[in-house]
Amino acid sequence: MPAVASSKVKRASKAGQARRPSRKTPARSRTLNDALAEAAWAEADAALAEALADLDEVEGAETAAARRTALAMLAQSLARAGRKRGLTRIGEVGGKAAYSAAAHELAVPAKRAPKRVVISARGVARGGAVLAKPRVKPATRGKKPGRKKKP
Amino acid sequence: MTEWTLCLDFGTAYSKAAAAPTGAWARFDPATVRPLMLAGEEAETNPFLLESAVFVDDQQVLFGSAAVQRADQFSGGKRRALRSFKTLLSVSDLDRALATNVPGSIDPHRLFQMRDLIVLYLAYLLAAINRAAGQDGDISQATGLKVRYAAPAWRDADSAGTHASILRLFGEAEALRNALGKKLLSPEGLSMALVTKAVPKAMAAPEPLEMSLIFEAPAAAAYTSIGLRDAGSHFIVVDMGAGTTDIAGLVRDRDGIQELADARYTLKQAGDFLDGIIANRVLKAASWARGTEAQTALWAMLMRQMADVKETLFAEGRVSIRAQGRGVTVAMRDIERDQDFREFIKTLEHAYEHSIAVVRGDALVRGRAEVEAIAVGGGAAAPFIQALVKQKYRGKPRVTARPATPDWAHAPVFAGNLAPVFPQLAIAIGGALAPDEMLAVNGGGVRRLAAGRNDTQAARD
Ligand SMILES: Nc1ncnc2c1ncn2[C@@H]1O[C@H](COP(=O)(O)OP(=O)(O)O)[C@@H](O)[C@H]1O
Repeated sequence: MPAVASSKVKRASKAGQARRPSRKTPARSRTLNDALAEAAWAEADAALAEALADLDEVEGAETAAARRTALAMLAQSLARAGRKRGLTRIGEVGGKAAYSAAAHELAVPAKRAPKRVVISARGVARGGAVLAKPRVKPATRGKKPGRKKKP
Repeated sequence: MTEWTLCLDFGTAYSKAAAAPTGAWARFDPATVRPLMLAGEEAETNPFLLESAVFVDDQQVLFGSAAVQRADQFSGGKRRALRSFKTLLSVSDLDRALATNVPGSIDPHRLFQMRDLIVLYLAYLLAAINRAAGQDGDISQATGLKVRYAAPAWRDADSAGTHASILRLFGEAEALRNALGKKLLSPEGLSMALVTKAVPKAMAAPEPLEMSLIFEAPAAAAYTSIGLRDAGSHFIVVDMGAGTTDIAGLVRDRDGIQELADARYTLKQAGDFLDGIIANRVLKAASWARGTEAQTALWAMLMRQMADVKETLFAEGRVSIRAQGRGVTVAMRDIERDQDFREFIKTLEHAYEHSIAVVRGDALVRGRAEVEAIAVGGGAAAPFIQALVKQKYRGKPRVTARPATPDWAHAPVFAGNLAPVFPQLAIAIGGALAPDEMLAVNGGGVRRLAAGRNDTQAARD
């Protein structure tokens, strides 16, 4: 190949296109991203399959201890599948933030938007895109910060 | 129409390749980086990783994942696939190593020397590269393709001589690929009759390939510093693979990149060594698995999933393993209590301290303010490796840890898909992007190891 690259590579290319005539988009970005995604999926598949099996064990557990063990295995398999897909978590459980409808999902019904919230479940992002917003609850229950008068 | 540069990386377990337009260093655009699908688009596993394996069967010779799967059908180590090409390529007397006979467990016919099987594998690798390059819309239209391969630096060996021997192997492999064509990529492998006829012919009439050599540490420095406006002058690279942990110090100036000889360390403990410690730990905890047979079965099961076990152990500090219907949990803390592990860490820290002092000393003498620390290889995420590269030092030059996956790998064009597979492809990608000055051998001239200017001691926190 290398020394005589172009002619031979071109020949191989025709063979490659003949095998997949349906692809109209330039091979360029599409092939690469498809392949990259497949690679990440191939790595994540096994972990995801484990997680599904673990889920049955959680549901079928007969004692609290067995359930705890199965739940830990499920959490581990799911977290591994997520990492292999390049998923990252947003925020920390228990962390507080100013509420933003764009950045948070309210986990409890609220008549009006809270000012400060506490994260009850972390969000998930991938390559800069948010796939799941952090789930939040109003931060200061009982104090009713919404009723405070503005100065 | 542009010229492209391609870099091959043979790992102990997998071979990888990536390409980029020639000159990408000066005009870097992440969108042009192309890891190659060596295992083919129909691969059930990661299509970028080609198993480095050859299996000599009764009637056929098998390659890649077909070879690994076939070898897995034999238990007890009576028959094995040949896997350790990389180890062979880094021995100091390559030609002699190539002339040794292959053990009976690998070649029951007693027909082959190491050289035969390596040339066969390289022909398979070249066929896989050609197929992958042909399937890429841009590379297939390139006006030319420059090829490089990455190798660990040969400390005592004569680089030019070893490079010449490797080029000869590739030339023979190319002749073989031309003779056999697509048959090489068939999952059924090649018939013994064909192999025994074609290999001697190819060896007698090699078709030389022009290839350059890049050492692995400079390739790592290349992918880390590309695209940064202020690319660094000094690097320390810690590479933990399967067989060895390598530390290298690099200095980059107008003439190119040189390795600081005094900063180099190679430790024989790495991924495989950790596997042993983890497996022993699990065996000890698995009180139900008693007797040789049960323990052998448990050991084999653990080894099959060891990369995942370590991935979770490194990411979460602990890992639970299901074995024969029961669970065992191993924490990083347990591993840290192991005597052999503690000795390894001590040696590793000592080596790193010495190495970083050499690199900082050189930076100080040259009036540079910063050293970049990079962890690469399958073990890059290990907490004890991360602790080394993130260590802070008092005064100048400061040491800055660079992430194992560079920011550009998160570019929107990749839709988040490159980052998870990046660390395994890093050396191939860096090798394709690196400017010519970073090559160890480029059309003849061999760069030498530089004597480290470590006369000035840099202080540690
Ligand atoms: N995600 C991971 N986490 C931890 N260890 C891993 C991971 N993936 C691979 N490994 C380990 O890394 C080693 C292989 O690393 P690599 O850099 O590819 O080595 P080589 O270049 O020697 O083939 C093996 O010990 C493997 O078990």
